[in-house]
Amino acid sequence: MAVTLSTLTERRNLWPWLLLAPLAVYLALFFLVPLAEVAIMSVTEPRPGLANYEKVLTGSLYRKVFLNTFATAALVTVCCLLVGYPLAYLMNATTQRRAMMILLLITMSFWTSFLVRTYAWMVLLGNNGPVIWLLETIGFEDPPGILFTRFSSTLAMVHILAPYMIMNIYSVMQKIDRSLIRSAESMGAYGLSLFRHVYLPLTAPGIANGSVLVFVICLGFYVTPVLLGSPREQMAAGLIGHQIEEFLAFGLGSAMAIVLLVVTLIVLAIYSRRFGLDKLYG
Amino acid sequence: MDRFLRWTGIAIVIFIAAPLVIVVPMSFSTSPTLQFPPPGFWLGYYAQYFTDESWLRPTFNSLLIALMTTILTMALVVPATFALVRHKFWGKGAANVMMMMPMAVPHIVMAVGYYSYFGSLRLVHSHLGVILAHTCLAVPITFLVLSANLKGFDRTLERAARSLGATPRQVFIHITLPILRPGLLISALFAFIQSFDETVVAIFISGRDAETLPRKMFDSIRQEADPVIAVISTLLFVAVFLGLIAPHVLRLFRKLFSRAAPKPVRATRNTQATTPQEVK
Repeated sequence: MAVTLSTLTERRNLWPWLLLAPLAVYLALFFLVPLAEVAIMSVTEPRPGLANYEKVLTGSLYRKVFLNTFATAALVTVCCLLVGYPLAYLMNATTQRRAMMILLLITMSFWTSFLVRTYAWMVLLGNNGPVIWLLETIGFEDPPGILFTRFSSTLAMVHILAPYMIMNIYSVMQKIDRSLIRSAESMGAYGLSLFRHVYLPLTAPGIANGSVLVFVICLGFYVTPVLLGSPREQMAAGLIGHQIEEFLAFGLGSAMAIVLLVVTLIVLAIYSRRFGLDKLYG
Repeated sequence: MDRFLRWTGIAIVIFIAAPLVIVVPMSFSTSPTLQFPPPGFWLGYYAQYFTDESWLRPTFNSLLIALMTTILTMALVVPATFALVRHKFWGKGAANVMMMMPMAVPHIVMAVGYYSYFGSLRLVHSHLGVILAHTCLAVPITFLVLSANLKGFDRTLERAARSLGATPRQVFIHITLPILRPGLLISALFAFIQSFDETVVAIFISGRDAETLPRKMFDSIRQEADPVIAVISTLLFVAVFLGLIAPHVLRLFRKLFSRAAPKPVRATRNTQATTPQEVK
């Protein structure tokens, strides 16, 4: 055994492949094959041809759902930025103790499952919930129902994805060389111009990372829009699930899934061209 | 400006904290309809969770599936990570991309694929099917965490052991593995949590027989919003909280017990801490 192992080690070309082989075979069997099956179903179910794609790309319902998905993903990304940037900035500016507390809170939110956080928003925004109660105590007569609207699902998605944004921006901000800021100040930059010409360019990589991550996750989001959103304004993932579960329309569902996948990969490809994909999740 | 920023910060912190905090009082509430403020407090829903078969079985399923997923993921990913971090070979770039792919594909797409593929393999509604699917989804994050650890590994230690006459196997068992143990544990934890929290694929393929906790929660939220969900949410939340503060508590204990140790280390750290201020 030891002999064969060492001879293999000497033949360097083989050893890494031997280590890699089980995983490669596994991923081929249980990742690539099911993925290929989706692609195949999209052009064979219920009969061979591109009819499913024609429907998905030209049908008004499907186009509306995809446009809605992009718009929501973009909106959630912008909101995450509006929430994440100031908080990351403050964490960097405040005392270390406070920054640690906020960081603990954000990690806690990050590690709490999507489902639990979605449920929490249901509790918060429910008809008998704290937000309505607060509005009534302040003096609002008969506040409108907020649950199961576009607003409630967007709000929850911002909350769920904000930690990705905050962590990315915060880690970049922490690495900023303070002397750069000081020298800019000594040359007369202050307030907004200091922010625009020094701070913003230095934090741009964090913004790009966080935004791409939030946008891509949001594109394929299933749980939160299905549970919290309005049934009339579905997102792509929700509609795919609907097609499969309710109508057993595998071909149509698969075609939508492939369109969603291609769009996601295009966004990631543009990003990796510029920054390298390995930095995104690291 | 400063004042405005501070209030913005407070508002954002409340926005992030409120949903995490709210489920805790709700789990003790006597109201079955998520009424706020709660009309009264009791432990009834906790009792219900811990005695109701229809909640305990999914919990057990989830734990079992997550455990098996972790074992399978580690068995596949650990050797692959060694290959990718420590060796140069033809096709390495492609292998790297392949490892990361499951992270780039939206889960709903994979759910459709597994639903049909495992249907033809008769693996739908089985534990094995969910484990096989979850292992794929857990590969990227486990690989990322482990490879980060392996890249930071100081290989001179291994070379030193080799030069002192240790065989490659001895080096691996006595040097590499012990040093890498924290990294291995953390990446295993990531695999476990990835599987335990995974919802979308489980909704489509776990069925009644292998129903996982997230699937049961999803169905329950969609249908009737059973107050037991608040109990589970609170328990999961407490688990995360304990997991996060555990290292701090451990460090605190260590500090308390190592008071008597000599202090040169602290002195150097103090001088380091003061230098930036002197520059100021």
